[in-house]
Amino acid sequence: MSTSQAILAGWMEIPDSAVNEEARRAGDAALGALVDQYAAALYRVAYSVLRNPADAEDAVQEAFLRVVRHRDTLNEVRDHRVWLIRIVWNIVLDRKRRAKTRPETDDVAELARVLPSNGLSAEEVAAAAQHHAHVLACVEQLPPKEREVLMLSAFEELSSVEIAAVLGITESSARSRLFRARNLVAGLLDHTRTSK
Amino acid sequence: MTTNPHNPHLSTTGPETAEDTLRIIANLPAPDGLQSRVHHALRRTPRRGRVLAWPATIKPQSNWMRTAAAAAIVFVVAGSGWGVYTRVEQNRPAKVLFMPRVAAPGGFSGAGAIRTPDTVPGPAAPQPVKAKTARKPAPKAASANSSAGQANPQK
Repeated sequence: MSTSQAILAGWMEIPDSAVNEEARRAGDAALGALVDQYAAALYRVAYSVLRNPADAEDAVQEAFLRVVRHRDTLNEVRDHRVWLIRIVWNIVLDRKRRAKTRPETDDVAELARVLPSNGLSAEEVAAAAQHHAHVLACVEQLPPKEREVLMLSAFEELSSVEIAAVLGITESSARSRLFRARNLVAGLLDHTRTSK
Repeated sequence: MTTNPHNPHLSTTGPETAEDTLRIIANLPAPDGLQSRVHHALRRTPRRGRVLAWPATIKPQSNWMRTAAAAAIVFVVAGSGWGVYTRVEQNRPAKVLFMPRVAAPGGFSGAGAIRTPDTVPGPAAPQPVKAKTARKPAPKAASANSSAGQANPQK
């Protein structure tokens, strides 16, 4: 370090001892614990919307980078799980809004690759993937509010109260939206079955 | 009635099918090493900006620093006021341009000649002559009677 740099460092920068180093280390440790505990759940949430492993992982990383920016307020958060899911949910919805809609054939191929085969033959796996892709296409036709509630309800670890908290609505609104979504998707599936 | 290939007990019509599909996707396992990759990404992020502090010799809390700051503010305000005062000219007369008269196109110009009207000598009225009249002095007795009558008008 040159003399000028040393002077600048000594004169202008607050030394590390002045900052609460212990608090920063505690924040880092808390953040690491959040990653270990919730990264997988956040990935599943992201994947259910984006249906692309790389995009879902990017969304998870972006969510934790946002958490880093607000690490000072970590102690004020009551429910870290709901808070994190809400962050990643907003990220994936924003990404999906910006991304172009992919053709359904991509969904079928991706689903055939990732869905559990459970001893099924290749043909059965392909048929299952096609079936799920068709169901997902029907879900995509739902209005956004109903679709979001239906997708979040698929996560068994989320109660209706937590779903409402993620979406920023009341629990009764979440319940009524879920009821409407179920009716709508049933109608869509019946319609496609009879048209075939 | 068809069946769900992943769960033969479930029908493929109705809302249950949609929720089953969403549930299957929601329960897909996360890829291996996700946590370590996220940890790595977080380590690569730059730390927050360094906090800059005042040098110890010029702490803003010190009295002489406050005095110097106040003096600097006064100097700036007074200096700018003085600058404005010296640059602005006061009571400056308005510039008036006298434009020469331009004759109508095609006509003759007056060549700067100024017409002076002919003056006619007015009628001379004769001054009235005042006659000199001499005042007669009043008689003394008459003046004495009149003064007595004024003193006792009842008699």
